Amino acid sequence: MRILIIEDDTDASAAMSKGLEDAGHETERADDGLAGLNAARGGKFDVLVVDRMMPKLNGVQVVEALRREGDQTPVLFLSALGEVGDRVDGLKAGGDDYLVKPYAFAELIARVEALSRRRETGSVNTVLKVGDLEMDLIGRSVHRAGQEIDLQPREFQLLEFLMRHANQSVTRTMLLEKVWEYHFDPQTNVIDVHISRLRSKIDKGFPRAMLQTVRGAGYRLEA
Amino acid sequence: MRLASIFRTTAFRLTLLFLALFAASAAAFLAYIYLATANEVSRQADGEVRRELSSLQTVYSQGGVDALNMAIIERSVGERPFLYLLMNADGSVISGNIAETPVEPKTSPEAKAAFSVRQTDPDGAIMHRSAWGRQTRLESGELLFVGSDIGESKGYVTRLLRAIEGASVLVIILGLAGGVLISRNVSRSMSGLNAVVAQVEAGDLHARAKVRGVGDEYDELAGGLNAMLDRLERLMGGLRHAGDAIAHDLRSPLTRLRARLEAALIEVDKGEVDPTRALEQALEDADGVLKTFNAVLAISRLQAAGAPDQAVFDPAELGGDVADLYGPVCEEKEIDFKAEFARGLSIRGNREFLAQALSNLLDNAIKYTPHGGAVMLRVRPRSSGEIEFSVTDTGPGVAEADRARVVQRFVRLDNSRNQPGVGLGLSLVAAVAEAHGGRLELAEGPGSFEGSGPGLRAALVFPPAG
Repeated sequence: MRILIIEDDTDASAAMSKGLEDAGHETERADDGLAGLNAARGGKFDVLVVDRMMPKLNGVQVVEALRREGDQTPVLFLSALGEVGDRVDGLKAGGDDYLVKPYAFAELIARVEALSRRRETGSVNTVLKVGDLEMDLIGRSVHRAGQEIDLQPREFQLLEFLMRHANQSVTRTMLLEKVWEYHFDPQTNVIDVHISRLRSKIDKGFPRAMLQTVRGAGYRLEA
Repeated sequence: MRLASIFRTTAFRLTLLFLALFAASAAAFLAYIYLATANEVSRQADGEVRRELSSLQTVYSQGGVDALNMAIIERSVGERPFLYLLMNADGSVISGNIAETPVEPKTSPEAKAAFSVRQTDPDGAIMHRSAWGRQTRLESGELLFVGSDIGESKGYVTRLLRAIEGASVLVIILGLAGGVLISRNVSRSMSGLNAVVAQVEAGDLHARAKVRGVGDEYDELAGGLNAMLDRLERLMGGLRHAGDAIAHDLRSPLTRLRARLEAALIEVDKGEVDPTRALEQALEDADGVLKTFNAVLAISRLQAAGAPDQAVFDPAELGGDVADLYGPVCEEKEIDFKAEFARGLSIRGNREFLAQALSNLLDNAIKYTPHGGAVMLRVRPRSSGEIEFSVTDTGPGVAEADRARVVQRFVRLDNSRNQPGVGLGLSLVAAVAEAHGGRLELAEGPGSFEGSGPGLRAALVFPPAG
């Protein structure tokens, strides 16, 4: 995947670039908003990682300019501003996700990968398929290897998110944000409990466990 | 205040504008009166002259020139005599009380004229009075002129005109003086406010405008300015306090992190510890510092600026969401979890912060409740109309003496030392409650039972929306 990092803190962008390249992606870096906008205009990137506060053009202006020009490349905003209002502003400007500094690499990589996947599966599917797992979004039913699995509404949403990001790591924070729509860190690992319940429903009695724990990152649903 | 600066004030300019409008309309009004009056005077005089002329013609047609001559001589000495002149056809005077006809040429058969007559008043002063007259030719060829003195009526108009002139001068002088006076008054009220603004600009947030108590718009402005400054000062104070608190609160975890890193460096040097393990530990510690930082920042912001983005919503929905998140956690720990929500209530607040507060209370309850215990989440109205979210557990509870203390930052009771956490959970809950005009109440739970309890009942109490 080709990723453009627009960030004026060069130490931070060098570290980010190394982290993403270690995870198997190609990266380019721009040190200010204007250079970033020009680099992004080619449209050759799969994901843009954009810092909010930069000289010349700030991140929000860069993304607004790109969106006005019809560029729909997924954008992950990075920001030291973590208030609810700041996040809403970033998403309104055309950002697709928002990550507050400082962040763990695992979190950054998981979110960047989730964004690129979103574009690939932009079409409207009514049935999701991962391996022998099948989810009917209209009938609200789930089958694994033809066997019906009974899920609570929230478990259904959780599994839907995991299936949409199959074979990718998703972090606990991402799940809490996207499935429960909360942006705070609960003290206990509530997500782990929900995952283990879901796991007992979709993996129990099957020869292969699909829902894997990724050490230091989160979870991954493997086909 | 200098005059030049008075001229620049809005009040003075408005006065001038008003004065100009007033003067223009007064002038138009008076000009109309003048024209109407002057016209009326001339018309009246002409009517009188014509009546006199026709009366004399009647005398002439009955008695001829001699009778006319007699009549003119008689009438010339009357109370308010007309001006008469009877002339031969060549213009030579036969009789009359004026020396010559003002008509040009003097022998005009039909003419009218405005003219002036010289008169000597009883004091001997010579006056020119304006007059109006008509001349006509008699059948026998003589010329008869009759005029009327309109000086008196005209004088009235002239006096009126002079009075108007005087009055306008007076109006302008009074208006200007009034304008200066009003501007000075307004400027004095404004300069008090301006002084306060200048003081604040110079950095003195304690400056306040004087409210005179007369309830006018300046008092209103001063009151508004003062309220704004009060709020500003409170916010600034809050932020300064928040900064101090964050610096204070982060010093200890950072010190701890630093000490651990230093110890790890020595241990790795000696080969006692695996470097990867040491780095992982350091990362974990750094995450802990970040968590602390975020919590302290959130508490400080709530205390300084209140809860942002408030909306009205149903508390039962919020309770349901949080119960949905924590129910499985209880189940896994074999804790009996019950949730009970009253319907039809509404509350105003920041959903995210309220969810976080409830989640902290549930976290605590689950953390301290032993296996086989129970946790209950309840949303209900109080008889006072307030809305209560309560979390009750069957854990050890908090002794009454410690209840006020556990809400403070970084306070951890002895029996919680072996539990994860840094002692900010309840502080955040209390800050969220206060930022919404509510409060956190801690009380004893359901009581002791078979060696457990007495439990804790934590209640978030909020005013209803509306």
